[in-house]
Amino acid sequence: MAAPVRVPVEERLFSLVLALLATENGLTKSEILSTVQGYRQRYKTSGDNANLERQFERDKDDIRELGVPLETIQPPGEAVNNQSLRYRIPRGDYELPRDITFSAEETALLGLAGMVWREGTMSTESRRALIKLRALGIEADEPVLAYAPRLRVRDASFEPLNNALERNQVVRFSYLKPGQSEATVREVAPVALFQYQGRWHCSAIEPDTGARKSFLLRRIVSDIAPTGATFPPRDADEGEIALREIEEIWNANTARIRVEPHSDAAMRLRKRRGTREGADNGELLLQFADANLLAEELASYGPEVLVLEPDQLRQAHRSRLAAVLAAHTETEAAHG
Amino acid sequence: MARAKQPLHARDKLAFLLSLVPYLMDHDRVSVQTVADHFGVDAELIRESVRLIAISGIPGETAAYQHDDLFDIAWDDFEDNDQIVLTNMVAIDESPRFSGREAAALIAGLQYLSALPETVDRAALATLMAKLARGASALPTQVAVETAEADATLELVREAVEEERQLQFDYLNSRGELESRRVDPLRVESVDADWYLRGWCHLREAVRTFRIDRIGNPVLTDERISFHAGEVTLPDTLFEGSADDLSVTIDISPAALPLISDYIPAGAKLVPSGDALRTSIRVSHYHGLKRLVAGLPGMVTVVEPEEARQVVADWAAAALARYND
Repeated sequence: MAAPVRVPVEERLFSLVLALLATENGLTKSEILSTVQGYRQRYKTSGDNANLERQFERDKDDIRELGVPLETIQPPGEAVNNQSLRYRIPRGDYELPRDITFSAEETALLGLAGMVWREGTMSTESRRALIKLRALGIEADEPVLAYAPRLRVRDASFEPLNNALERNQVVRFSYLKPGQSEATVREVAPVALFQYQGRWHCSAIEPDTGARKSFLLRRIVSDIAPTGATFPPRDADEGEIALREIEEIWNANTARIRVEPHSDAAMRLRKRRGTREGADNGELLLQFADANLLAEELASYGPEVLVLEPDQLRQAHRSRLAAVLAAHTETEAAHG
Repeated sequence: MARAKQPLHARDKLAFLLSLVPYLMDHDRVSVQTVADHFGVDAELIRESVRLIAISGIPGETAAYQHDDLFDIAWDDFEDNDQIVLTNMVAIDESPRFSGREAAALIAGLQYLSALPETVDRAALATLMAKLARGASALPTQVAVETAEADATLELVREAVEEERQLQFDYLNSRGELESRRVDPLRVESVDADWYLRGWCHLREAVRTFRIDRIGNPVLTDERISFHAGEVTLPDTLFEGSADDLSVTIDISPAALPLISDYIPAGAKLVPSGDALRTSIRVSHYHGLKRLVAGLPGMVTVVEPEEARQVVADWAAAALARYND
């Protein structure tokens, strides 16, 4: 026999998917390794195929990563062992149902939605989703107005939390609660990642108490470490629940502030979601979910904003400003 | 155990092959260039993929990849005319489903776009998201974005482009100066919760970027626009550096670094300074700097120049003084 032909990785993966789609009853591992393109060239009829078996394990992971439902079945009546396991891709779970179609307008909108992600795995996933969408052959409507929307995912904890929540892993991290100076270690089951007011949050359940907590990703000050424990998958729309909960807090908290007329604060805070005019001229009523975060937001406006109430926000605003002043009036030597 | 990672592109190529096959099945005869345009890839990638598909198939009854068990194409049409005609098909009938994460990425993207005039029909948007979820092979992972209300200014911007009329508005720049501007809208851009309009500014006779939330009293004028999107080259980055920019040395806590990365010029060094990192940022003027630094209290401190420190200190002091009045 001639020297084995080198089969490119994508050809091996493609051949594996085709073979597993075509089989009704599934193929055993040795059937796969001895007959499927890319494996069969390296298969030893009598000998050790450990390397090839490891290759197969990795390929399965890669294929599943693409959303291909590669399943393992144990034929009834046969003894339970590794050799009798069969692999297949059930057609119904693999194929996009025929009644799912997208209009030209919807396709254009999905193109924009995919464009939103420019970094990290979210960008990889949306790019792949758009390739699959194009398989349907729909030509997208050209949008009237050119858009370049972008959601950033720069918090280092985003990717590891996204992995943990997909795998139902309990994780541990250090968290610096807004308004506090010491970080504390948290052990939680992450159930959703959500962006609210431009900031990424993680909604998580405390395994001991069952309580739901929201964490600001920017305040996570350590690596995300899986504890080894897992939690049962949750089938509720956790992202929506988390957003609804924070929205309730937002609606329940109102700040009364005074803004300088014609200032940047007067202009932009009036355009902030939910802002209403107060009783006096120049007074605005703002909604907020977290007094410490609003205090930081308002601090950027300097003397254009005076907080009237609540007192907690007033104090938080003052202390932020005092910190900025102190940091910029100390002499260089005092930084030491 | 460390896992020898397969190059990512093999996985992407597989996704592409699984999508290309059903597309070709739906098109009896199609040119390589048409397919390349549709998928937004190089024609050479299409040719390479078609060659691979044409020799692929299933082991079949004999486990020997017989001719009938393989895809086939009209080779002459392909080699001579750059046309693709599938003449035999195996195993694949339909497009693949989305993975749970793929569907989640698009659903969250759609939620984010809810401020756009294109998505005002909330029922249609909900239907679209439900279709994505149903078209996924697993439950979409939970990534969500706050849905915004439709923005009236964006609606007007869209109208301006549609009717090819200039948009006029009051604009408060970051120096605090209010000016009336007339603009040909070119592109709407965003970064997280901040939305921007990029357009040809007739006052400055140049491309300018405007924060949507600093635009006041926008109206459509009767003046025709001079420039359409595509006629003006827009830089890729929203914040462009300029030769007049001021360089400022700061200390920043590592966690806050992503928040100001737009201001850090390429190649700037990060040097440990106590618990913080010392680096330099570029700003167009100190008016913008004081707002940036005051909005990150305890996280960013200006080190030098002294004048910049003073501007920030004065800004905070003036704000505090209002509490002591």
